[in-house]
Parts: sequence; structure tokens; C-alpha cells
Amino acid sequence: MKLKDQFYTSLCLLVAFIVLCSHDLYIKMETYFLQPNQQATLSLYNGTFEESENIITRDRMLDASVVAQGKRVAIQPAQWKDQDSTITALTFNTGEAGTYVAGVSTKARNIALTADKFNSYLKHDGVLDMLEQRTNDNLLNQDAVESYQKHVKAIYQVGDTKTDDWKTVLDYPIEFVPQVNPYETYSGEKLTVKLLLEGKPLPNQLVYADYIKSAHTHSDHTHEHTGKEHSHEHQHEDGSHSHDHDGKEHSHKHTHEDGTHHHHDDKPKAEAGHTHTSGQQLRTNDQGIVTVNLPEEGIYYLRTIHMVNVTDNKELTHQSKWATLTFEVTHKHEASTHTHDDHDHEDGMPTWIFIVGSLLVIGLLFLIFRKKS
Amino acid sequence: MKHLHLKQALSLLLVFFPLLGFAHNVTSADQALLQTGSLWAYIQVGATHMLTGYDHLLFLAGVIFYLNSFKDILKFITVFTIGHCITLVGATYAGITANEHLVDALIALSVLYKGFENLGGFERLKVKSPNLLLMVGLFGLIHGFGLSTRLQSFDVGTEQFLSKILCFNLGVEVGQVLALIPIVFIITMARRHQQFPAFYKAVNWYLVLAGIGLFTYQLYGYFSE
Repeated sequence: MKLKDQFYTSLCLLVAFIVLCSHDLYIKMETYFLQPNQQATLSLYNGTFEESENIITRDRMLDASVVAQGKRVAIQPAQWKDQDSTITALTFNTGEAGTYVAGVSTKARNIALTADKFNSYLKHDGVLDMLEQRTNDNLLNQDAVESYQKHVKAIYQVGDTKTDDWKTVLDYPIEFVPQVNPYETYSGEKLTVKLLLEGKPLPNQLVYADYIKSAHTHSDHTHEHTGKEHSHEHQHEDGSHSHDHDGKEHSHKHTHEDGTHHHHDDKPKAEAGHTHTSGQQLRTNDQGIVTVNLPEEGIYYLRTIHMVNVTDNKELTHQSKWATLTFEVTHKHEASTHTHDDHDHEDGMPTWIFIVGSLLVIGLLFLIFRKKS
Repeated sequence: MKHLHLKQALSLLLVFFPLLGFAHNVTSADQALLQTGSLWAYIQVGATHMLTGYDHLLFLAGVIFYLNSFKDILKFITVFTIGHCITLVGATYAGITANEHLVDALIALSVLYKGFENLGGFERLKVKSPNLLLMVGLFGLIHGFGLSTRLQSFDVGTEQFLSKILCFNLGVEVGQVLALIPIVFIITMARRHQQFPAFYKAVNWYLVLAGIGLFTYQLYGYFSE
């Protein structure tokens, strides 16, 4: 038994891992700080934030645009190039200084999943509300046919001039909209981001936020999440990613209509060193806002999957809308080394220190004048 | 003023100076609160700003020290309020702003001015003191511009813009009333005490020192930007 069984077990685990990974879509850049009028590349990572597994075919794109200086310019399908079998990229000239927004919105597609695979995907992709609902409704044995669509944004800074384009709403079915300019928010601070579903704030929605250290400032991609007792290594740039799923292998094993969506596996991703729900697990408040901690400089990415049951369509059981947002955070560039600790002092100390200090001074002066009089 | 030696005054100023850095502590916490977008948040931040904006309160305390009747207090505070409402709403709505340190330096001078006037500085210099009601109105405009500059340093957005300004202004007034209650109470009670003259001098000298300290601090901030 031993050798044959071990082989099959290993093969099953490998296949299982590959299939279980769903594909998030991100707009990724080597750095989100660019100089005016330089050549830059914006890549669509369809897989994880660290490694893309599939290209995005142009016919899938409902919209691809860049917003700058108050103008929204469409990215034409012909401008995209497939860098290889896994990454679709756009090489462009950055143009004038300002804060830019890039967005890509994809068409809805369907996928059929067995109950087990669907449950695993919900668990490992952090669609926990739907999983809980299925559990409570005793529907864990129900297979699923899901319609999914992905709507992704990135905000990048060209030069030093900050413009207001960062808050542009691209009118995607679901999208993240920062409440302040991420490029006027610095490491050690927090960023509030609103999640819109069909243009309206989406309350009580799970959002995951994580980051990697900026490639241009740190060669080592290992990081720790303060206070979260969590760490993981990113060792992908050189192709040595521990996840064994390159595009070709994946396409052979996959028979979904575009080969770009959910991949199923029974092996928890955490065991393989990665999960789609790493970092901060947040939930939007009544105004659809999450507050993201920015503990250190790096490239941050937010992701969410909003899923609902479908009752008015015979073909579908569920519909999901996926959103991601990426941006880069740096430390505050000030001669005074204005740190987070300074803010803490500002927040916590002034009132009582000022009052006590003032009372002491007045008391001292009072004693002096009383003695003199 | 001759009762206090220059050496003593300078010593007190040096002791007091580090505290001045803590005035005007509208911080990232306020920014985070405003980002919720609710009008109530603007009222809260407006009130917080007034209650922790010591330069505004010091000036008000100086004004009240000079006045004896409740009617006068009401009259001067009303003029001050009208003054700061005009610039707070007007400048914010029109997007008029200036360097925060310079505006705060002017506000610091208003504190210094009030302490100086209350101590009879103009009489000692044999100069006729300007009309107080006019000066309070003028300083009200400056304080309002300071509040406006601070409000404009936040990302207010474009939705409900006027409502947000008015709510911030409302918060400022609420904060002002809340701050005035103990100030008026303490000064009124102090007047009944036989040691009031020493207390009067102590507080107004404190205003002079605080005004100089705040002014220096803001100029330092401006030039080290």
C-alpha cells in the first residue's frame, strides 16, 4: 500500500490545494510612487497578491480606466499585453504629477461547485457570513452555481503633487473608496476606506487587509503583523513561490469556462504558507467604512467578497462581487520626524498637562503678588 | 506690572513654554472621526477644538476678567461669537486659508493683548486703549479665521459642505458655552474674595506670558516648516 497510497495521497493533496485557491484580482505595481513622465507598468495579478496564475482576457474587461486631473481615460483593450501566461500588463507613461486611480471591472461569469468545494472556498476565502448562513440553514450539502465578478482599483502617486482623484468613485458594482488620500496618510497611522455596493455604503461586510514591504525599500519580503501573532514570508519575485501552481499546470487541471476562477482543494491554504484571509480581518461599520491600520510602510491590499443567495434565477444559487484596492504607504517625510508617538501625545496629554501647568503658573504668580501686596 | 521683576517673568515663561506645544490639539483622531461623514462628528470636533483650543479660552478668560456685569459679559461674548462665526463660515465656504502657524500666532497676540490691557498696560504707556468692544470683534474675526484654517486642514469633502461647516461652528459655540460656565463661575467667586487683586494680576500676567509663549511657539513652528 505504502508507496502507491502515499503517492495518491500526495497527489490528491497537491490537486486539492491547487483547486481550492480562488483567484483574487489585483492591480499591482512594483512601486506605487512614480515620477512624472516615466515609463511604468501596471500588472493584473489574477491569483494572489504575490503571484498571478492567469491572464485576464480582454473580452472579460467591462471597464479599464485611469483617472487623473479630474479626467477618466479608458484603457483600450489593445494597450494590454500578456507578459506571459499568467500576467496581463499595461505599460504606460505616467504623465503629470498627481494622485492617480486605476480601475478594472470584469464581466460576471458562472461556476458550478460541489457542496464540499463551495464550503471550502467560503472558508478559505473568508466568505464567512455565507458559510455561517449555510451552516445555520443546514445547506452545507447543497451544491452551488455561483455568478462572480471582480472590480479592482489601485491608487498610485506620481511626483509630489497630491490631487483629489483618489476619491473618485468609478461606479463599479462594488468598490473601495478611501476617505482620505492614502498618499497623505503615513505608516503608523490609520486609513478609513468606504465600501460601496451599487454606489451605496455596504455595512457589516467582512474586509481583509494585508501588506507586503515595499520592494524598493526592502529586499527581504518577510514581515510580521504587529499584535496579530502572524507572520509570513513572501518569496515569490524570483519564482520560488512555495505554492506549486503555475499557469500551465493549472489550466490542465481546470475545466471551468475560463480557467480563471475557483480552484478546489481540501488542503487548508494556511498549511501551504498562504491564505487569502491573512492580515487584518475587518468589518464595515454602519456607514460602510473600515479603518485599516498601517503599521509600517509597504504595499497594502484590501479585499472583500460580497455574496448573496440567488432565488430568482434557476441557473444560479449564489452571486458574488469581489473588490480589491491596492496602494502604497510610506513614512512621513518631515525633518521633525513626526512619528505616531507624537500623535499619541497630542491625543492623550495636552488637556491635563496644560491645565495643571497653567494652574501651577497662576498659583505661583498668585503667591508672588499676594506676598508683595 | 512693576511688581513682577523681569527675571521672575522670564523664569516662569521658561517653565511654562513646553506646555504651549500642547495647545490646539486637533489630531488624527479628529480626522478619523470626521471621516465617518456624520454631521454629529463635526459638532463633536468643533466642541473639542474649542475646549482644547486654549488660546481661544485664554482670550475669553481675559475678556471676562475685565467685565463686571453679566450683561457686559453677554454683550462682549456675543460680539466675539459673531466675529468668529463670520470668518469661520465665510472663509471655509470660500476656501480662504492661510498658514496655520501665522494665524495661531495672531491669536496668541490677542491673548497677550488682553492680559496687557487688563494689567493697565496702555495707561502705563500713557496710550489710549482701543475700544474694547471693537477689539473683541476684531479678535473674534481672527479667532474665527483660525478655526476655519483648522477645519480646512481636514478633508471635509464636498457633500453637505455648508452643513458640515455650520455643524462645526455649532460645536464651537457649544464648546465655548461649556468652557465659559466654569470660567465665569470662578472669576465671579474670586471677585468676592479679598485676595482678588493678587489673583487678577496673577491670571493676567499668566495671559501675557502665555501669549508670548504661544506666539513664540507658533513662529518657531512657521520658520521650522
